[in-house]
Amino acid sequence: MKRYKPSPQALTQIFGAIVLAFLVMPIFAVVPASFNQASFIKIPPEELSLQWYAAFLEDRGWMTSLFNSVRVALLTTAIALVIGTLTALGVERLPKRIRPIVIGAVLSPLIVPVIMISIALYYVTRSVGLYGTVPGLALSHALICVPFVLLNVSVSLQRLDPNLARAASGLGARPGYVFRTVTLPAIWPGVASGGAFAFVLSFDEVVISLFIAGYGAKTLPVKLWEQIRVEFTPVAAVGSTLILTFTVVLFILTRLSARKRNSSAEGSQ
Amino acid sequence: MTRVETTQAWRGHDQRLGRAAMTFLLFLPALIFLGVWFVWPLGQLILLSFQAEGGAFAAYQEILTSEVFRIVFFNTLKLAVFVTIICTILAYPAAWLLTRVKGFWFSIALYCILVPFWISILVRTFSWMLLLERSGPVNNFLITLGVTDQPLKLLFNDFGVYIGMVHVLLPYAVLPIYSSMLKIDQRLLLASDSLGASGHTTFFKIFLPLTLPGVTAGATFVFLLALGFYITPALLGGPHNLTAAMLIDSFVNERLVWPLAAAASVILLVIVLVVLAVTARFVSLGSSVVVK
Repeated sequence: MKRYKPSPQALTQIFGAIVLAFLVMPIFAVVPASFNQASFIKIPPEELSLQWYAAFLEDRGWMTSLFNSVRVALLTTAIALVIGTLTALGVERLPKRIRPIVIGAVLSPLIVPVIMISIALYYVTRSVGLYGTVPGLALSHALICVPFVLLNVSVSLQRLDPNLARAASGLGARPGYVFRTVTLPAIWPGVASGGAFAFVLSFDEVVISLFIAGYGAKTLPVKLWEQIRVEFTPVAAVGSTLILTFTVVLFILTRLSARKRNSSAEGSQ
Repeated sequence: MTRVETTQAWRGHDQRLGRAAMTFLLFLPALIFLGVWFVWPLGQLILLSFQAEGGAFAAYQEILTSEVFRIVFFNTLKLAVFVTIICTILAYPAAWLLTRVKGFWFSIALYCILVPFWISILVRTFSWMLLLERSGPVNNFLITLGVTDQPLKLLFNDFGVYIGMVHVLLPYAVLPIYSSMLKIDQRLLLASDSLGASGHTTFFKIFLPLTLPGVTAGATFVFLLALGFYITPALLGGPHNLTAAMLIDSFVNERLVWPLAAAASVILLVIVLVVLAVTARFVSLGSSVVVK
């Protein structure tokens, strides 16, 4: 009788599945930790409690950092959306040959090690008085967010038929009107997903913030970093769970809108 | 040339000029922003690296001859190389699984890779700290299994740094490899099969070579990101796991020696650019970025 021997393919698939589980599972360890009853973290918690959420809400330091994070992320998103969308529109008007060069230039902040960008901006923001301010931090975050807006908007621009805009202006519409009624609705999905990406990148950003946020614009990740370098408290797990929730909700929203966009595109064809 | 034609030609010229001006205006915000908030700060930092007290190249000289700096840079390179190798080996079967599953399970598998991209590195690292703690779930599990009697030291050492960094950087390796596997013409594999090649031969002679561009691109991304890593080694590592980024931080925040910090980051940037230039000769990195 022949003994059963699993095929290499099956083994590889099982190994691949283990790798994927390794990618996702550990991320959510902070969630049960945040519902601890005890004053130290135990996973899984022996008794569930919301008391550390209450402690978070009552703590001025944590709440201020949460509001700072939201303010910085909103401002970053606005800056990145304006610059990234305009650049994407500009790239679309260039000859195909020189497009990669321009896109590469806008993407170059992603190539430079973050630590270098951080200390360079730390050095400069102090000299121009933007150190420790919300606008200073938002501009710095925008540096790594603009590329993602550019890429997202470019993808939707490539799907847009240029004849539509030509037809509109041929019919006498002014450029501003063409943009509002033809281009913007068509690229809206790209703008929305670029914006969501920018918001999350800024909301999660740690290294640049550690150098530039100072005391005045201390964000939630910076507060979390300071906390967990000292001790693991359930309040830190609450802060992490909040960051996680923000991100997952935005991720689901963009996926849903992408699905809606795809199904409406299929419907129109 | 009649008058009408001339005016038309002129109008066309005007339109082209207007179009060029419009294009320029669209780029203006990005130009100003990148100029003021990227090129100028980096320029200032590079200038600073040549302004050490002992002369223009004193900072570089001090760094390149300092024992501490050599050890830290060597450790950073070693860490980046091993993390890259581990990520590539783990990413390959995961990417392959993605090409094999369909429908619901494909969505699940894809989300397993996309969700971590979105989630804060700090939160992910903190999760590992909780999991790997002395009295954490991993140690409890190992003790229950009878693998060990005493809780193992899994944090603040090499093990912690490697597991954390591999976890954070793995998705960057999976996506390019997956996209290179998608591009393979399935008929090549069928042809190899029908010509009598074993599965083993087909894999090593056809499949693997065709995915090498994706492997190279993925490995390059992981390597470059690993070189400048700060958060994960700082939290999961011990005193011996100092990386170049942490050293630069200590130059700025503890020792207040700006020219040294500037010179060290310029060296880091040069390494990154050299690696990019070398890999760009072999694979088009740009085409593997746009996976989604």
